[in-house]
Parts: sequence; C-alpha cells; structure tokens
Amino acid sequence: MIIELLATPLGHTVAALVAILAFLGLNGLVMVYMERKVCGFIQLRPGPFEVGPRGLLQPVADALKLVGKQLVTPQGADALLFWLAPFISFAPVAICFLPIPFGPIATGMNMNLGLLLILAFSGLNALSLVLAGWGSNNKYGLLGAARAVAQSVAYEVPLLLSVLAIAFQVGSLNLSTIVEGQKGILSWNLFYQPLAFVIYFISATAETNRAPFDLPEAESELTAGFHTEYSGMGFGIFFLAEYSYMIVVCAVATALFLGGYDGPFAPGIWWFLAKVFFLVLILMFFRWTFPRVRFDQLLNICWKWLIPLGLANLIATALVMKLVQ
Amino acid sequence: MGEALQQQLAYVGYGLYLLLILAGGLAAVMSTSLVRALMGLILTLFGVAGMFLLMNAPFLAFMQILIYVGAVSVLIFFAIMLTKTPEGEAGAENMLEWIGLRAGLAVLAALTPAIIMATLIVKKAPAALALKPEVTLAQLGEFLTGPFVLAFELISVVLLAAMAGAVVLGFERRKGK
Repeated sequence: MIIELLATPLGHTVAALVAILAFLGLNGLVMVYMERKVCGFIQLRPGPFEVGPRGLLQPVADALKLVGKQLVTPQGADALLFWLAPFISFAPVAICFLPIPFGPIATGMNMNLGLLLILAFSGLNALSLVLAGWGSNNKYGLLGAARAVAQSVAYEVPLLLSVLAIAFQVGSLNLSTIVEGQKGILSWNLFYQPLAFVIYFISATAETNRAPFDLPEAESELTAGFHTEYSGMGFGIFFLAEYSYMIVVCAVATALFLGGYDGPFAPGIWWFLAKVFFLVLILMFFRWTFPRVRFDQLLNICWKWLIPLGLANLIATALVMKLVQ
Repeated sequence: MGEALQQQLAYVGYGLYLLLILAGGLAAVMSTSLVRALMGLILTLFGVAGMFLLMNAPFLAFMQILIYVGAVSVLIFFAIMLTKTPEGEAGAENMLEWIGLRAGLAVLAALTPAIIMATLIVKKAPAALALKPEVTLAQLGEFLTGPFVLAFELISVVLLAAMAGAVVLGFERRKGK
C-alpha cells in the first residue's frame, strides 16, 4: 500500500518534501560544526572541542539553547510582519530542493522548468530580509533591509546571466537533462563555461549574504543587521535558512557545472553530496579569508564587472551555439 | 492517479487559489499599514501564479513569482522604505472611520462581477474545458519571435527607453551635487 502510494507522482513529491526537511534539519547541525571548525582552523585555534568527542555535540547544544530561549517581540514592532519574516525566509527553501537531481532516481520532481523554479523561489529570500528589517522597528534592521534589497536585486542579474549561458548551451532548463549531458570529467560544463562558473559563484555568495558580501548583517557596523531584534528560534530559523540556501546554490552549481552525480565507483548521490560540500567548504573559506567589501565596492563589482562580463559570455555562447548547429 | 481524484484536486486547488487572491486583495485594501497592504498584494500574486499552474502554464507561473514577487514587490518595498514618515503612516486615525465604508465598497466590488458571472454560469453551464497541453519554452520563443515579433520589439524599445532614462536621471543627480 505505502509502496504503491509512493509510486504515484503526488506520493513521490510528498515523500521527497519530508526527506528534504529531514535533510535540512540535519544539515543545519553539520554546517554549524563545519563553519566553526573551519573558522578555528583559519584563525589557528581548535574551534569547539569541549562538548562531546572533538566537539561534535556542540551544534546540538547550540540548537537546544536556541529552542529553549524566550521569543521577544520588540516594542513598537509590527508583530505580524516581524514573525512572518523567518517563515518566508525558510519556507521556499524546501521547494527549491524539489527539482535538484541528487542522484539518477533521487530527484524530488523531474520537471522541465526546474531551474526556473529554483530561481523564482530563492528570490523570496530578499523579501524576508526586508520584512525582518522593517518589522523589527529598529534602525539597524532597517539599514540592513535597505542593503539587502540593493544587493539582492543587483546580484540576481549576473546570476541569471550565468545560468542562462548553460541553458543556451544545453537547450534545457531541466536540471536532470543538464546533468545527463555531462558524462566523464572532461565533458563537465565547468570546462566549457569557466567564466559563467566564476560569475555564478560570486553572485551566489552575494545572494546568500555570505562574507565578504554579508553587508545586510555586517556585525561591525549594524550590530546584526536585519536580524538584530530576533531572539531564540526566530534567529535560528534565519540561520537555518541561510545554511539551506548555501546548499541550494552549491547544489545548482554542482548540477550545472560539475557534472551533478557523475563520478566513478560510488553511487551518484554520494558524488553529488561530496561536490556540494566541497563547494560549501570553499564558501566557508571565502568567509574567513576575505575582509568585507564596502557597499560601493559591492555594487561596482556587480554593475561594472559581472553584468558586462555575463552579457558578453551570453552573446559568445549564443554565437558559438549558432555556429556549431 | 484516478481521473476523478484529479478533477477533485483541481477543484480544491482552484478554491484555494481563489481564496488566496481574494484574501490578498482584501488585506491590500483594508490594512492601514502600507507594508501589510504590500503583503496582501504579494499573496494575490501568489494566488494568480497558482491559477497559471492550474492552467498548465508553469512557465508563466514561475515568471510571475520571479518577476512580480521577487523583483517588483521588493522594489515597491524599497519605495515605501524611502518615503517612510516617522510618525505612523498617513492619517492613521482617520483611516479607522474609513475602514467600514471601504470594506463595504470592497465587498461590493468583489461581489458584483461574481454575481453576474454566477448568474451566467447557472443559466448556461459550460462544459469543463479540457486541460490544454503545456506550451513548451521553445514554442513560446518561436511565437514571440515569429507572429508576435512586432509586439516583442515594441516592448523591448519601451524597456530600453526606460533604462536610458534611468541612466540620464542618475547622471543629472550626480552633476547637481
């Protein structure tokens, strides 16, 4: 009965959503530990090591602390908007995972417009940040929100341009089809579209608000930016959403540029996860290596470098595809 | 999945999206806070995207979310933030008196077309239309650059003019300082 139910498209989607949510919860714990250990490694200190063997239980302790804390709504804040923001931040992530092909079979929903779905729903993140900043009735929050808008609107353009280059090349927005086209390391899109990969990765760092582009929450200038007023799990959900978006952008990068689940010996899903977490590790190294950029620098990188380069890359791709035909 | 079940689910989906659109519209009209009104607008846009999905047009649905929810509404938010008045929003006290009247007008505005449509539907019940096959992206592109090329190019001219205008305005502001 259950097997039959799982075989229907609806049952498959529901099962995939449940699996995704479980994965996201676990992933939050793993990435908190990973981030603190990477940070410790770069700053020549051991990182967490008191709780459990090698500090492995530290994220569990952190999570329990966050869950146990009191939820405070600041005075004069719009309570509805204030508490809506974390949910708008986290809810679309689960949908973003649906079209990602973790393995030949481990795909939540094999759909033709999968890439578009991810781009559409990850755009909601900016909305949640401005809502949080506005709703908390705090000037740091408001400044963080204003920065988040300018940043995410600007960096969505080069992100789309680099993704479109791959779509032009493959002729499809279906992530499974794009992965199917890359068999063997030499046919990975990374080697055909290196510029698009660089543009994509920089824009993705900015879209997920990771340092060096973490201006909406710059702690040295804005206390904590848009989530200054959030306590306990209000902050926890924002944190979980940020880590989940990191996985989304890295998974899309893996599927578009690194051959997805393509790899020898082991089953595809392990290769996919290995590539995703390798990219996540690079993002973490970025965070602890580069100092935060200034706001004018941030926008100059986007408008003066990434967008013209992305456009040129797109035109070149279209020309080559026309000639090859 | 059985045909009958699919039909039932379609009705449920239609009702849900209709509810979203109406609730969003009401929230947009009734709330005194501009940001809450914007949230209502966004809810309505989501409902419309759902309707597109129900009509087997996922491309339009995702574009609706990508452009209207992801970009346009965020820009509206930006405009609200830039024009924020420190003490509440314009005439918050007077609004309370207006709410009753506005609610009545809103219900009337929503009900009038609904009543007309309902009478029409009850008198001449049309057979449920068969679901149209999904228009692929390639077909859409061919249509835009084939039969509808004039409209397509006109829209791009309008966008180009808007972009050029924005750049010119930006340069003038800089000279002013």
